[in-house]
Amino acid sequence: MNAIFPTPDAAESERLLTGDEMEAALRDIGARRYHILHPFHRLLHDGELSKDQVRAWALNRYYYQAMIPVKDSAVLARMHDAELRRIWRQRIVDHDGDGPGDGGIERWLKLAEGVGFQRDYVLSTNGILSATKFAVEAYVHFVSERSLLEAIASSLTEMFSPTIISERVAGMLKNYDFITKETLAYFDKRLTQAPRDADFALDYVKKHATTPELQRQAMAALTFKCNVLWVQLDALYFAYVAPGMIPPDAWQPGVGLVAGADAPKAEAGPRKTAPGDTPRLPRGVRLRNDETRGKYVLLAPERTFDLDDNAVAVLKLVDGSRTVSQIADELGTVYAADPRAIEADICVMLDGLAEKRVLER
Amino acid sequence: MNAQAPIRPEAPAPVGLLAELTHRCPLRCPYCSNPLELDRRSGELDTATWQRVLREAAGLGVLHVHLSGGEPTARNDIVEITKTCADLGLYSNLITSGVGGALDKLQALYDVGLDHVQLSVQGVDAANAEKIGGLKNAQPQKMTFAAKVVELGLPLTLNSVIHRGNIHEVAGFIDLAVKMGAKRLEVAHTQYYGWAYVNRAALMPNKAQVDESIRIVEAARERLKGQLVIDLVVPDYYAKYPKACAGGWGRKLMNVTPQGKVLPCHAAETIPGLEFWHVTDHSLGEIWRDSPAFTAYRGTDWMQEPCRSCDRREKDWGGCRCQALALAGDAAATDPACSLSPLHAKVRALAVEEAAETPPDYVYRTIGSNIRSPLKEGASS
Repeated sequence: MNAIFPTPDAAESERLLTGDEMEAALRDIGARRYHILHPFHRLLHDGELSKDQVRAWALNRYYYQAMIPVKDSAVLARMHDAELRRIWRQRIVDHDGDGPGDGGIERWLKLAEGVGFQRDYVLSTNGILSATKFAVEAYVHFVSERSLLEAIASSLTEMFSPTIISERVAGMLKNYDFITKETLAYFDKRLTQAPRDADFALDYVKKHATTPELQRQAMAALTFKCNVLWVQLDALYFAYVAPGMIPPDAWQPGVGLVAGADAPKAEAGPRKTAPGDTPRLPRGVRLRNDETRGKYVLLAPERTFDLDDNAVAVLKLVDGSRTVSQIADELGTVYAADPRAIEADICVMLDGLAEKRVLER
Repeated sequence: MNAQAPIRPEAPAPVGLLAELTHRCPLRCPYCSNPLELDRRSGELDTATWQRVLREAAGLGVLHVHLSGGEPTARNDIVEITKTCADLGLYSNLITSGVGGALDKLQALYDVGLDHVQLSVQGVDAANAEKIGGLKNAQPQKMTFAAKVVELGLPLTLNSVIHRGNIHEVAGFIDLAVKMGAKRLEVAHTQYYGWAYVNRAALMPNKAQVDESIRIVEAARERLKGQLVIDLVVPDYYAKYPKACAGGWGRKLMNVTPQGKVLPCHAAETIPGLEFWHVTDHSLGEIWRDSPAFTAYRGTDWMQEPCRSCDRREKDWGGCRCQALALAGDAAATDPACSLSPLHAKVRALAVEEAAETPPDYVYRTIGSNIRSPLKEGASS
C-alpha cells in the first residue's frame, strides 16, 4: 500500500535517487501533506470563517512568524561556511527588517492589527494556543539538534508556499470585507522571497543528500515540517471551529482588541450633502401642488412625501442649477435669516431625501 | 342642514388608482392578484373611457396611477393612456412583467412622460424564475428590459413576491436589484388571496424561512442605505397585527378592472353580496363616494369586537376584509391575521402545517379556467 509520503520501499530505499527523482519525491510530500490541504485553510480562503476565527488564525500564526528568525539563527549557528551564512542570513533580514517598522514580522503585526488586535497584545504572545507553541518550538529544536541537511530540508515547505499565498490573498480579499490589500502586505514580499529561498535550499539538499540514507533523512525532515504547520491548524480548528474547545489560557473572542474593532463600519450610506452641491430631483420625482388637499407634495416611486413649508420653499429652488449655498442665500434674503444657518438645515433635509433615493446631488 | 342625509363616514379624497388595464399576461404566476375569473379582451374598456376615468381620478385628488394588469403593455393604447396621465399631472407607475411587448414600447412610454417602472422578478435563478412565472425565456427578457429602463434614466423598482419557491433567493434579489441599478426593491411576501389562496400550500414558507428573510432584508437596508431602498411586506399569517388593507377600505385607493368595475381592493369581488358599480354607468366620484361596495366597510361603524373597541382600529382598519371572509367566514370579522382575533392561533397553525408539507404543484393562472374559488366554497359551508 502507499505510504503517506513516498518513503522508498525496502529495496528501493537502498537506491540513490537522481536529482530529479529526489526533487519529485520532495514535491510529492508537499502535494500530500502541505497545510494548503487542511480544512481550516479551505475555510479561510473560501470566506467561510467568522471574523473571530480569522483573528485566531492571525494571532497564532504570529507566533510562528516571530520564531522564524530564531529558528534561522539556530540554523545559521551551525554553518561553518561564510558563503552559506551570507545567503542564509538574508532570511533573518527578511523577517526582522533592517530597522524598526520593517520586515516580515512587522508586516504580520500589521495584519493582526488589521483584523482588530492591539499590537501589544499580539507581541505579548499571551493567548497563543499551547499547541501552536509546542509545534513551533519543536521546529526550533529540530533544526538545532538534527543535521544541517535536515535543518535546511525542513525549510523546503517554501517550495509550496507561492500557491498557498496567491490563493490566500485572492480568497481573503474577495471574501472578507475587513481584510484589505494593506493588511495582507506580508504576503506580497513572500511571493518573491519564498521561491528564492526555496531554490537555494533545494539545490543544497539535492547536492548534499549523497546517500539513500541522507535522502530519506531530508524527506523525513520535510515531512516533519509539514506536520509542524498542519498541527497548528488542527489546534486552531479544534479550538475555534469545531468542537470549539478553547483551552483555558488561550485567546477568547473579544480579548486584546482595539476599541471599536467590532463596530460596524462608520458612515455607511450616502455621503453628506455639502454647500457646493447642486441638488436635483431625478426623473420620477416631482414636486406637485396638490390642489385637492391644499398642499405641496413630493411624488416619488410608489410613495408621496408630505412636506412642511420649509421643505417646500427649498424644493421649489432645487432645479439642478442652483447650489445649496445659492438656495440658502435666496432663502436668507426672503426670510431675513442667516444663510449659513439655513444652509446647514438644508443639507440635513436633502440628506434625508437622498437616503430615500429621491434626490441626487 | 342635511339632517335627512344618511350618516356615513366621510370619504377622504383618494390618492391612488390601480388601473387594471387588462388581465392578459404572458406570465402565469401562481400567486397572481387577479381574480380567478379573468376578464377577456373583448370586454375591456376602450381608450376614451380610460382617459375619462383618469380625468375624473385627477379631479378627485388622485396623485398616483398604477398602470397594471395583467400585463399593461399588452394593450395597444398603453402609450396614449400614459400620456393622458402625464397631461393630467398624474404620477404614472408602470407595473410590468417586462416580457412580451414591454421592451418595444418602453422608449415611447418614456417620451410621453412615464414616471416610474415597477418590474416583477419571479426569481433570481432563471430556471426557478421561469418555473414560477410559467414562461420559458422570460428571465433574459426581464434583464434586458431592466437595463433599458435604467439606461433611459427612469427610476426602477424590482418587485419580488416571496414564497417558499424563492424565499431562499432573498439575498439574491437584493444583489440583483443593486446590479441592475434599481433604486427600490419590494420584498413582498405573498398575500394569500385569489390565485395565491388556491396555491397557498405550494407557496407558504415556514416561520424560520420568513424570519431569516426579514433578517437578510434588515441587514441589507443598513448596508445599502442611500443606494437601494428596500420595502418589506411580511406575510400576514405570521404577523402580529394585520395590514391596513389598501390603506383602509375606501380611504386611499381604488381599483378599476379591465371591464370598468371599480373595487375598493383588487380582491374585493371575492366577497359575496357586495355591489360594485361600473365606470360606464357612474362617474368615478359617485362610485368612490356612494357605491355600496365602497361604503360597506368604510370607516369603523361596521366593525365587530375585538376591532370595534381596539386602539388600533384607525391604524389597520381591521385588516383585510377578503381575508376575514376567507378565514373567518365573515367579511366583517377581525382579520384572523391579527393576533387579537380568536381565530389567529388556528390560522397560524394552518400556515405552519402547510409549510411543513411537501408543496403540491402550482396551479397556474389562465384565462377561462374552471378553478372554483375556495373562498366562495368556504363562505357557503
